[in-house]
Amino acid sequence: MKKSSIFGLIVIAIAIAVIISVYSTSSTYGSFKDAKSADTELHIVGHLNKQKQLFYDATKDANYFSFYMKDNKGEECKVVFTGSKPQDFERSEQIVLTGQMRGDEFHASKILMKCPSKYTQDKVEITEAKAKQASI
Amino acid sequence: MDTFKGEHLLPGHLGQFFTILSFGSALFAAISYYFATTNPLDTSWKRLGRIGFFINTASVIGIVVSLFYIIFSHLFEYYYAWEHSSRALPVHFIISSFWDGQEGSFLLWNFWQAVIGNILIWKAKSWEKPVMAVVALSQAILATMLIGVDILGQRIGSSPFILLREAINLKESAPIFASNPALYHNYLSYIKDGNGMNPLLQNYWMVIHPPTLFLGFASMVVPFAYAIAGLWQKRYTEWVKPAISYSLFAMMVLGTGIIMGAFWAYESLSFGGFWAWDPVENASIIPWLILVGAVHVMIVYKNTGHSYFTATILVLTSFVLVLYASFLTRSGVLGDTSVHAFTDAGMFWHLVADVVIFLVLAIVMLAIRWKELPRTKKDEETYSREFWMFVGAIFLCLSCFHLVVVSSIPVWNLMFGTKVAPPSDPVKHYNIVQASFAVVVTLLTGVTQFMKYKKTDITKFFITSAVYLILAGVITGVIIYVTGVYKLQFVFILIMVGAIYSILANAKVFIEALKGKVKLAGSAVAHIGFGLIMVGALISAGTSIVISENTTGEQFSEDFVKTKNNPKENIILYKNTPVQMGKYMVSYVGDSIAPPNHYFKVNYKAVDANGKVTEEFMLKPNAQANMKMGLISSPDTKHYLFSDLYTHVNMSNAITIGEGTGEAGHDEADDDKKYEAPLVYEVSPGDTIRFREGYMILESIAKKDHISDITLTDKDIAIGAKLHVVSHDKAYEAEPVYMIRSNNAFDFARKVEDAGLKLRFTKVIPQKNKIEVTVYQQPESAKKWIVMRAIKFPDINFLWSGTIIMVIGILLSIFRRNKELKSE
Repeated sequence: MKKSSIFGLIVIAIAIAVIISVYSTSSTYGSFKDAKSADTELHIVGHLNKQKQLFYDATKDANYFSFYMKDNKGEECKVVFTGSKPQDFERSEQIVLTGQMRGDEFHASKILMKCPSKYTQDKVEITEAKAKQASI
Repeated sequence: MDTFKGEHLLPGHLGQFFTILSFGSALFAAISYYFATTNPLDTSWKRLGRIGFFINTASVIGIVVSLFYIIFSHLFEYYYAWEHSSRALPVHFIISSFWDGQEGSFLLWNFWQAVIGNILIWKAKSWEKPVMAVVALSQAILATMLIGVDILGQRIGSSPFILLREAINLKESAPIFASNPALYHNYLSYIKDGNGMNPLLQNYWMVIHPPTLFLGFASMVVPFAYAIAGLWQKRYTEWVKPAISYSLFAMMVLGTGIIMGAFWAYESLSFGGFWAWDPVENASIIPWLILVGAVHVMIVYKNTGHSYFTATILVLTSFVLVLYASFLTRSGVLGDTSVHAFTDAGMFWHLVADVVIFLVLAIVMLAIRWKELPRTKKDEETYSREFWMFVGAIFLCLSCFHLVVVSSIPVWNLMFGTKVAPPSDPVKHYNIVQASFAVVVTLLTGVTQFMKYKKTDITKFFITSAVYLILAGVITGVIIYVTGVYKLQFVFILIMVGAIYSILANAKVFIEALKGKVKLAGSAVAHIGFGLIMVGALISAGTSIVISENTTGEQFSEDFVKTKNNPKENIILYKNTPVQMGKYMVSYVGDSIAPPNHYFKVNYKAVDANGKVTEEFMLKPNAQANMKMGLISSPDTKHYLFSDLYTHVNMSNAITIGEGTGEAGHDEADDDKKYEAPLVYEVSPGDTIRFREGYMILESIAKKDHISDITLTDKDIAIGAKLHVVSHDKAYEAEPVYMIRSNNAFDFARKVEDAGLKLRFTKVIPQKNKIEVTVYQQPESAKKWIVMRAIKFPDINFLWSGTIIMVIGILLSIFRRNKELKSE
């Protein structure tokens, strides 16, 4: 066999190994219900329940942040995050959590949030307009 | 049609005219150059092509000037200016708001490609016609991204000259406009200011990083165009030589741009590191890796005639990957896997088309010429430089392949309807897989230095490479012991061996080059730089330690301690209350405010065993309390030669949203609520009052002639109580005042903010010869605090200096290749 063909085979083998390793370490998207039965970390997409309390008190523990999230199936669960509260969390529209269940709480190791359009919100500020109108 | 007061429509119309013209002229140039190539005897086609491209260049400059004019003159009737700029921005950020949005960054790309096209017209000689046909085609397709015209109900591209009232339904967001047409007609007078730039981007790197990155992307079209031209004109062997210089240039500029981004992330974004394997970061490095592989294989081909096919494929792929990267980051497909991708601007299929056009072009050209492509019958020698350079290039491709597979997970989900999520610990996943490839690549950059093209003396090769390998092993042993890298996974230690080996082997070549073969120095220098980058990245990322570990905070649940994946990295610091972190006593000592920035002064003190202060410095991480985004903080870093100390404030109660924009008006009763119940003391001069965090002495009581802005008359009586306050070894003076005016008693409280005190002189008691002082103390929780994170990054300077060395090396190589071209 030619050397280049041997090398070609090795490359193909490595490429397959890469795909397998990606596939095996890749996580899945799920719900809180799935998380209860799973023993590995998974991703849960959902949104913040703004009615319930967000708890973060830096003076008590700067690394404890908890809130309630509803997953896409509507199930709600208390979420605990070890770390400080992400900026602007209240305004998040969608949250992607990575983590696993511990008892009744979902312990997130990572929080990724989507804000409506974080900075460039397509809304003109009208405070100016109102103030002006009073003087007309 | 409605008319609106105060709008400046001319620059927008001009800009829109130029965008259409730039598309038309680029298409015209591409077609002309196509016919110039197919009719080599008719020179008029070439002239038309040039004219077309010059018009294109002029119109791109026209678009740039129009947009700059709009942004500089704060014409907020234009959506782009309103969205990305504001009056308060300093000039250099106004310039950078130009490329803050999708449209502007396409324009930047367009501009650089026009510049490159002109250089090619000037330099490419016999290659001009076919190469420019491809470049002009690319220019025309880029131009479509900006035209923003509706064709068959489908908007093509997104124009930066769209008006605010067209982009946003003003009547909806401000109902007042809907009910009152007169007001709507005059809407512009209510748009006082633009949205401004994201505070995170307000950094000098925003001025320089995007232009560099886009120059890198834009210059990658040149090797692609040469490869296509080579296939098209059947000049299979010739195109490689001129393309090498351009590829080296693209590799240098794009590499610099990527590292600039890493440096920016490290210096001022709060990633807590220089590389986070975010899909957007990966998107910039994917084409670069392939390009580096391509350059090496092109050199192999030039020197030995081997690997023609691989060189062509890699060059073609590198440019298609640039377009793919642009699709990934701009189409919104990354969705919730990335923090900083652009959001979808309705250009998904347009971006897909861009990738497909060039992919099809590449495949078709290869297929047509498939049978004619030069092939070598003989295999490369096992002990030859070309074979192992080829192997190295293939490993770079595998590394790139892995990045593409993982970063594109959302794309696979979209294509196959699957629901696969990215790895839950992406950094670890990427680090380990990429490290395995890096081991091979670094070792090869060393080994190949001991080989020669075509045939190597085997015995000599084995002896020298083994000697150097042992030497590298010894040095690595020392380094990993000193830095603590040995605690990491084995594969990282192997990279260290590889990187050191590469540095040593290339240092040998470099020293020999200084003696005689100076022209070889370029690659040696570049490889040394690359080795240093690997060493720096490995040590700093592998052994960085969070020194702000929370040892004092209460634990909420036992599980917290058990889960190792989330170290407690944040610590609360109360003002003037020092906390031990590593070898430092760290205290938050105060604030300094220079709107819009709020700097937290964090004092670091290293104390030796005898209690002597050996080192003291102040870091000022800052935060902006932005009305729109909340708290935006940037870190501050203490740089040492061999380590950096990074400090970042996550949260604080010392800063309020909208700070500096207006006075916080509040009345006294409200103010008192911020304090604990007051304590009343009867004192005479010389007496001491103790409070929780110190003491104060009443020094004297004196009659006052005036109280700041109140004019006193003869009938008024005002007395001040001079208090000397000492808190946490710091002394402050305060003088609360008691005043009687027309039989009414007033008093003016004084605050000592640093000590959390408010002091009032509330009564005079002549019978006892005493006065009454009321002391308000802030409760512990109302005391100012910051939540901060401090990380020590050792040896990161190797990474930055390695980059500079690598750039110098590539630059030397460019000079060398250009000289070779000229001498032929």
